[in-house]
Amino acid sequence: MTDEPPLSLDAFQRWMQKVIMHPGGVVAGAETVEAGLAIESVVTRSRALSSFERLDIYNRSYFARLLECMQAEYSVLATAIGEELFDSFALGYLQQHPSQSYTLAELGERFPDYLAATRPVDGGVGDEGDWPEFLIDLARLERTINVVFDGPGTEGESLLDRERLMAIQPDHWAESRLECVPCLKLLPLSYPINDYFTAVRRGDQPDLPARAPAWLAITRRDFRVYRYPLVATQFHLLHALLNGETVGSAIEQAAATSPVPEDQFAADLRDWFFQWTTAGFFRDVRLTDRGHDG
Amino acid sequence: MHLPPPRLGHPQLGLGVGLRTAHFAHILREWPAVDWFEIISENFIDSQGRPRYVLEQIAERYPVVMHGVSLSIGSIDRLDFDYLAKLKSLARHVNARWISDHLCWTGVAGKNTHDLLPVPLNEETLAHVVERIRIVQEVLERPLVLENPSSYVTFAASTMPEWEFLSRMSAEADCGLLLDVNNVYVSGVNHDFDPVEYIEALPHERVVQCHLAGHTNCGTHCIDTHDGEVIDPVWKLYARAHRLTGGVSTLLEWDAKIPPFDVVHAEVLKAKRWVEVRSAECGTGSDAIAHSNGVQIDPTASPSRIARTSIQVDRFVVHDRPQSGRLGSHASVSNPVAFLVGDVE
Ligand SMILES: [Fe+2]
Repeated sequence: MTDEPPLSLDAFQRWMQKVIMHPGGVVAGAETVEAGLAIESVVTRSRALSSFERLDIYNRSYFARLLECMQAEYSVLATAIGEELFDSFALGYLQQHPSQSYTLAELGERFPDYLAATRPVDGGVGDEGDWPEFLIDLARLERTINVVFDGPGTEGESLLDRERLMAIQPDHWAESRLECVPCLKLLPLSYPINDYFTAVRRGDQPDLPARAPAWLAITRRDFRVYRYPLVATQFHLLHALLNGETVGSAIEQAAATSPVPEDQFAADLRDWFFQWTTAGFFRDVRLTDRGHDG
Repeated sequence: MHLPPPRLGHPQLGLGVGLRTAHFAHILREWPAVDWFEIISENFIDSQGRPRYVLEQIAERYPVVMHGVSLSIGSIDRLDFDYLAKLKSLARHVNARWISDHLCWTGVAGKNTHDLLPVPLNEETLAHVVERIRIVQEVLERPLVLENPSSYVTFAASTMPEWEFLSRMSAEADCGLLLDVNNVYVSGVNHDFDPVEYIEALPHERVVQCHLAGHTNCGTHCIDTHDGEVIDPVWKLYARAHRLTGGVSTLLEWDAKIPPFDVVHAEVLKAKRWVEVRSAECGTGSDAIAHSNGVQIDPTASPSRIARTSIQVDRFVVHDRPQSGRLGSHASVSNPVAFLVGDVE
C-alpha cells in the first residue's frame, strides 16, 4: 500500500487494460501509461506472489487465450506454417485489431485482410515463390468456411429443384434471375488449395501446390459446409448470378471466358445448372418483366 | 428488510452440465438423462447454423440456462443494448430459466479482453455495478444472476471483502447470485482468505445456482482452468453451500481437455454422494440429499438429421466445420470465457 489516493474506477480500468494487453509484459505496459503508476500502488501482493507476478497472470493469459482462438479458427494455416510463425502473425494482428466484440466469433474476421495488407512486397524469396498469397488463400478459405457454417442458411426450406428448372420455358430462360442461397460464397484464389486443405485436415502432410489461379464455391446444406472447385468460366457465371444479373447476361459474361467450342459450352452449361441445382445453390427462379415463373 | 424467496423463486433444476460443442453429436444421439444444460450465451445469440439448431433441439427436451461472459457489468463503458436485446430474444426462444454473467469487467474503451477481470471492491464500484444491474434487469425483464469470478489479483483500492460486496450488491440491486464454489476455493488460495468464511457469509437465499469445476494448482497460486475433476476440498465446500442454501441447481463446467460426455456427467453426479456425506456428518436428515429431477427423455425421439454420416456428392468435397473451436488451457490460461462455436463429429 502507498499513500497515493486510490484511482477512480475509470482510471483504474484504463490503466489495467493497457498493462495486461501490452505485448511486452506488465512492466513495459505500466511504463506506457502516462500516469506512470507503479504496479504495487494498484495491485496488492499475496503471501506467495508479488503484485507484478499476480498481474502478469492476466497479461500472459490474454495473449495465450486469444492466440489459441486464432489457431482454432485458422487451424490449417497454423499447421501449414507452424505454430511459431502463425503466432507471430496472429500477435501482430491482435495488436492492430484487438477484439471489439462480445463474441470471439469475430476475433479473426479481419485476419485474411491483415495478412494481405502486411505481406512482403517482393512476395517472399527463393523456391517458395510468392508464398504469402498461399497463406492469404488459406486464411480466406478458413474464414469463409466459418462464416458459412454459422451464418444464414436454408435448412428446412424447399429450394429450386430440377423439375422447376426444367419447366422454365426456353424463351423465358435468358430473362430469368436465379436467386442464390444466402450461404453460397465464391472464392477466387491464387493457388489451387482445395486438395491441400483437405489433406491437412485429414492429418496428412501434403506438398504445396504449384501456383495457378483457382476458384471455389462454398455453401451449406443440412448444417454441413461443402466446397466445390470451379473452373474460371463457372466462377464468372456464378459471380454474375450472385450479383443478381439475368441468366442471359451471366452466360454472356461467362462465355467470354470460355476456352471451349460453343456447342461444348452449351452442353457444359446444361450440366452445370443441373449440378448446382442439385447442390442447392439456388433458392428460387424469377422471371423478369415478361412471362412468369415456369 | 425485503427477504426474497429462496433462489429468487427459481426452480431447483438438479445436476446439470455445461453444453459444449464437443458433446453435440453424443447428446443428439443419446439424449442422456442429465437434469439440465447451461449454455455460453455468446456462442448462440448470433448463430444461424448448427449451434442454434442443436440448442433448439436440446431446449425442447431439457431446461436451459443462459450463462454469459461479455456483459461486463463492472465496466465503465456503456452497456451494450444490442447485446442485451439478443440475450433477451434467445432467452425467450429457448425458454431460458434464468440469465447469468459474472461480477467483472471484460474491457474498456470498446475493447474486449475476453477475460473476466476483477473490480476493486469499494463503494464507487458497488454503486456503479448496482445501477447497471438495475438497468439490465429492466431491459431483460427478469432478475440477473451474477457469479463470483476466480481472480488472481486484489487491489489497493478495495475496502471490503468479496462476500460483503456480493451481499450488498445482491440486496441493493435485488439480483441473484451464482455461487461458483471452485472460484471461491481458487480465489481463497490466491488471496489468502478462508473459503468457508466466504461461503458462510453470503446471503444464501439469493443463491440461485452453484458452479463446480476443476482447476490447476501452480503451488503459489491456482488457475481456474476448468480442465479436470473437482477436488475434494471443493466438494466439501459445495456440501456446505448445499446445506446453507437448502440445495440449488448445480452445474459442472468442463472447458479444456474435455472428456466424453459420460465422464463429465458422472463427475457432477458425484454431488449426490458429497451431499449425503455432509448431511450424515452434520446429522441433518435426508432432506439435504441432492435433488435430481430426472427430466423425461423420450427414447423414441427421432434421431437428428444432422447426426447422419456425411453425404458424398460426386466429386465434391464435403466437410463439417474444421476446428476444435474452443478456448483451451495452457497451463497458465484461465478458461472462463466463450469459445468459438466449434467442431462436430
Ligand atoms: Fe463458473
